[in-house]
Amino acid sequence: MSNLLDKFLSREEGSASRNFLLSAVWWSLWGMGAGLFAAMEFSNPDLVHNIPQFSMPHLRMWHVNAVAIGWLSMGYVSSIFYMVPNLCKTKLYSERLGNFTMWAWNLVMVAAMGTLLNGNTEGREYAELGAILDVLVVIALCSVTFNIVMTVAHRKVQKLYVSLWYFLGSLFWFPLVYIIGQRTFVALPGLNDAIVGWFYGHNILGMWFTTVGVGMMYYLIPRFTQAPLYSHGLSMLGFWGIALFYAPTGTHHITQSPVPEWLKAIAIISSIFLLVPVLTVLTNFFMTMKGKWQMVVTDLPLRFAATSCIFYLITCTQGPFQATRWVNWYLHFTQWVVGHAHLALLGTFSFILTSAIYYMLPRLTGREWQSQGLIRAHYWLKFLGFGLMMTSLTIAGLVQSAGWAMGIPVDQWVITLVPYWFLRSISGVMIVTGQCLFAYNIYQTLFGAASAPESPPKGKLKEVAA
Amino acid sequence: MNGYGYRLGAIGIVTTFFIIIFSTVLMPMVIFKPKTTTSANDYTVENKTGDPIRGRRIYIREGCFYCHTQFTRLQDREYGPLVKAGDFNYETPHQLGTERTGPDLTNEGNKYSAEWQKAHLIQPRALKPGSIMPSFSYLSEHDMNDLVVYLQTLGNKREVKAYVQPPDEYLPTTLTGQELLKNKHVNTSGDAEANAGRGIYTQDCAGCHGLDGRGNGPNSISLTKKPSNFTRPFFKQYSDEMWFYRISEGVVGTRMPRWNLTLSEEQRWYLVAYLKTLQKDVEETVDDLSQVNKPEQIKLPKLSNQQYEPHHGGH
Ligand code: HEC
Repeated sequence: MSNLLDKFLSREEGSASRNFLLSAVWWSLWGMGAGLFAAMEFSNPDLVHNIPQFSMPHLRMWHVNAVAIGWLSMGYVSSIFYMVPNLCKTKLYSERLGNFTMWAWNLVMVAAMGTLLNGNTEGREYAELGAILDVLVVIALCSVTFNIVMTVAHRKVQKLYVSLWYFLGSLFWFPLVYIIGQRTFVALPGLNDAIVGWFYGHNILGMWFTTVGVGMMYYLIPRFTQAPLYSHGLSMLGFWGIALFYAPTGTHHITQSPVPEWLKAIAIISSIFLLVPVLTVLTNFFMTMKGKWQMVVTDLPLRFAATSCIFYLITCTQGPFQATRWVNWYLHFTQWVVGHAHLALLGTFSFILTSAIYYMLPRLTGREWQSQGLIRAHYWLKFLGFGLMMTSLTIAGLVQSAGWAMGIPVDQWVITLVPYWFLRSISGVMIVTGQCLFAYNIYQTLFGAASAPESPPKGKLKEVAA
Repeated sequence: MNGYGYRLGAIGIVTTFFIIIFSTVLMPMVIFKPKTTTSANDYTVENKTGDPIRGRRIYIREGCFYCHTQFTRLQDREYGPLVKAGDFNYETPHQLGTERTGPDLTNEGNKYSAEWQKAHLIQPRALKPGSIMPSFSYLSEHDMNDLVVYLQTLGNKREVKAYVQPPDEYLPTTLTGQELLKNKHVNTSGDAEANAGRGIYTQDCAGCHGLDGRGNGPNSISLTKKPSNFTRPFFKQYSDEMWFYRISEGVVGTRMPRWNLTLSEEQRWYLVAYLKTLQKDVEETVDDLSQVNKPEQIKLPKLSNQQYEPHHGGH
């Protein structure tokens, strides 16, 4: 019995982080695959017939949830479980609780796949999961928070590195945002529902994906470059700026609907103010990288991280402008916005997570990456694939915007978009292939014959402070 | 002291977060309570043909809102009256939507017949060639029925004051618009004017839009973007200026040309007069190739050599 317990709820150091990491990669294949499938149905709507599970809206629900809650969030928890103990020079408070969380989370994902593909949704964008699953997610999030807070409380170093601020902040407010955003047990009238919905819809990005992702950048970049962080003062400014300006921006998603003007004004103004923390954060990274850019040629994980920073710059300059009324008037409702969303989640945060995984896995398992070539292929497929996706969606968005602005009926110009949708499918093939190579590389590294650990994993886990 | 700084930070995070929650989540709930308008879509009303509440659930289940929005904006010229805040009080969960791959459905009710809607859901491309809307043929008869009943409730109570609007420069609110109206000497409601327009229509438009305006001209076969069907009741809402604008500027991205390059203003007004007579109470759809107008075999007269080379410049 205790044997079984140890197998499934292991106490081994680093096991929770590793298991989360592997689950994340597993769900990424399903999530990105569903995205590709949905993309192909856009360019060829009669691809499958009469199978409700494969109908485009169902695939889309599953795609969004699988990549957001499966791939990115599980990867994030994995990174937090690895980075926080390292920054605190201590062990994770409870590996067993961590592994329990991992199982709960995977259960949510399995159930999500079963329900969403059948259309059992609450009908709220980004909050599609049903009531029971919502409760499970909240339990999982709270146990992560508890675990990390206890780890930090037992830390052996006094000073809290900026990444810890980001992680602790995110773990504090994200469960709350999630609870507010689900609206599972309340029924608000239409526009109030939308206001709360977009508070959540934006803050799952702003107070979870961004804040944890930026925390990871703060952790990884100084380690990759072997350089101290450029400025701790700037990093604190960035942190408080994000905490202050991100949360009220949600309403900029519905600036053209009849919600109160003052709320729109708050949202638009804080969206523009977001440029401040973003530019501070990036200045900090780029100054840390100063004189070290040649390292991206040889250091592949750093290359992922640097690319992520550059995409972050692009997303976060797009964002504030899209929030302004005039630009929003023109671009809203179009594929441009879909491109923007992918730039944030795929371009920025997937890249930084991938970088973190390339960094963590050898240290968690004591095995070196099986193939550098595969990493390189992964990078280029994902980078070029994403570039193609972004270009095609952006152009498609501009065509659509022109259509709406001229008042031309949709069915007159929707055909014009087919080539762009076709290109997006191709970009999807590239990205999914990249991700499959990534998964294969991980599999080979862990189970391949050639990669027996050189030293016991425990020794590697403790790393030298940067 | 370091421990102190940590505690201060924690307090800071908590306070910031709650201030924001208060101002952007709680405050709107307390002070933003629009009164339900008469145009709000109460889909809970009894309906003999089906259950619109269930239909709405199917709308959500099938994720229609990922491609269709339910609010009209000022610039959405084609989608009926503008929504008001109080219109949405029955909408839980809201179906505003964020992305429009397809048209806005705010005022979709009764735009087409229920049969059309069903056929469109089963195979959109049969009715709208080139559409990328997925086929929902897997829906059961019951589901389909309720979904269509729900669609037909959308926007029914919205009183129509102004519908599709041409751009400002065609409206009397601007100087160019006033100029345009000053030069309009054609009575666009007159029979004689319509008859005059008919001649121009047959010559210039029927090739694509068909002799009776059903979008079934001989050219329509080869066009991927099909010409409009003027028998649709939808076109009843077009104002004179809207017709004039469409004729003058064409439809970008389609074969519909800008007629202001070839027709005079007067001719275009005659056309408006004729086009306004074509709408029927029920759209006459063309669903068979045999209904497409065939170009008549032109019987060329036997011409003499001299007639082949007519003299130019006088007799
Ligand atoms: C992949 C995106 C997509 C999804 C999902 C989708 N549609 Fe559509 N829909 C379109 C497009 C594109 C058009 C325009 C071309 C056409 O009329 O087929 C359209 C047109 C329509 C129209 C005709 C509107 C008009 O006024 O011309 C109706 C009604 C409609 N859809 C209803 C639905 C319903 C109901 C669902 C859910 C069961 C749904 N759609 C799901 C893309 C979509």
